[in-house]
Amino acid sequence: MLDQKNLRMIFYLKTYLLIQLLFFLSGITSNGFSQSEAATQAKIINVSDLEKIINQNKDRALLINVWATWCLPCREEFPDLVKLAKVYEKEIRVLCISVDDPDELDSKVLPFLKKQNAEYDNYLLKVVEPEDFINLLNKDWGGAVPATFIYDSQGNQSQVLIGKQSYEEFEQSLKKVINK
Amino acid sequence: MIIKKFLLIAAIFAFYFLTIATFANYPSADKIQDFTLTDYNGNKHSLSDYKDSKAIVIIFIATECPVSNAYNSRMEKLFEEYNQKGIAFLGINSNKAESVERIKEHAMENGLTFTILKDEKNIIADKFEASFTPEVFVLNSEFNILYHGRIDNARNETEVVTKDLENALNEILAGKEVSKKETKAFGCSIKRI
Repeated sequence: MLDQKNLRMIFYLKTYLLIQLLFFLSGITSNGFSQSEAATQAKIINVSDLEKIINQNKDRALLINVWATWCLPCREEFPDLVKLAKVYEKEIRVLCISVDDPDELDSKVLPFLKKQNAEYDNYLLKVVEPEDFINLLNKDWGGAVPATFIYDSQGNQSQVLIGKQSYEEFEQSLKKVINK
Repeated sequence: MIIKKFLLIAAIFAFYFLTIATFANYPSADKIQDFTLTDYNGNKHSLSDYKDSKAIVIIFIATECPVSNAYNSRMEKLFEEYNQKGIAFLGINSNKAESVERIKEHAMENGLTFTILKDEKNIIADKFEASFTPEVFVLNSEFNILYHGRIDNARNETEVVTKDLENALNEILAGKEVSKKETKAFGCSIKRI
C-alpha cells in the first residue's frame, strides 16, 4: 500500500524526470540551431585564394556574385540568389563574395547572411588593391556592385551581369551554361 | 581572283576590329561632347563654361551610396586645394531616385561646396559610360579624358595607399602626361532604373 510519503516521492520523481526530459529536448533543438548557424559562415580570402577557387571549379557551372551590405540593390537581389542556389544546386555552384570591410564581418556580414539563410559558399574578400580583384573577374568591369559572373563547367566565363537582377534574369543567364 | 579579293577585304576588317578590341579597356568614351546641366539652385552649367580651366574634374556621386559618402570630405578637400590652382570641379548625380531637393540637402549636410549637377535620365552618365559612384573623369580643355577611375584605393580613409586622383592632378599641373590613366574601385552601381 502506498502511503502519503511514497506518493509524494513518486510525484517528485515524475516532476524531476519531466524537467530532465525538457532539458534534454531543448539541448537537442539548441544544438540544431547552432548547427545551422555554423552553416552560414563567410571565409575571409584574398585574390589568389579566389583565383584558385575559380580554377578548381570543374564539375559544375559557377556563379560568382559580388556584393556588400552597404549596397542596397545587392541586398535586394540576395533572396533570389539564395532561391536560385537551392533550385539549381546540382547544376551550378553559387559563390557570394562580399567586399565589406573584414572588420565588419561579425557586426554586419554574418547577421545579414544568417537572416537570408544563405547556406551556399560565402566569402569575404580581404582587399589590398581592388584592381587585382576586379581585373581577375573581368577586365571590362569597373567595380560597380552588384556584379554577377557566370562560368560554364569548363571554367570559361560566359556572362557578366552588372546591377541588380531579377530571379528570371538570373535563371535565363544560368540556362545558357547548364547542359540539359 | 575574286576569292583573293574577298579574303583581303575580310582580313582588313578583321585587323580593324581586332585593333579596336585590343585598345578597348573598361568602357569609357575618350572625348566628351559639350553638355549643359542644372545645379540644385536652378542655374545652368555647360562644360564649355570651364574651357579655360587647367583641367575639369567630373565626379559622379550619390546621396545614398556609402562609398560615395565615405569620400565626401576627401572630395571637398581636393576641391578646395585644387580649385585655387585653376582646376574646375563638377559633381554629377545621375541616380534616378535622388531628387534635386535631396541633392541640395545632402550637400548642405556634408559641407560639399563644389557645383553639383542633376543628370536627369542619366543622359550624361551614358555619354561618359559611367557605371558607379564615386567615379571620376578628368578632362582637358578639349574635353579629352586624361584620367578615369577612382579617387584613391580605399573606401576607409585609414587604408589609403595610393591617391590616384591627386597624383593625376599634380602631373597635369606640372605639364606632364598622366602616368596612370585608368584605375578601378568598388562602388555603388549608378541606379538608372
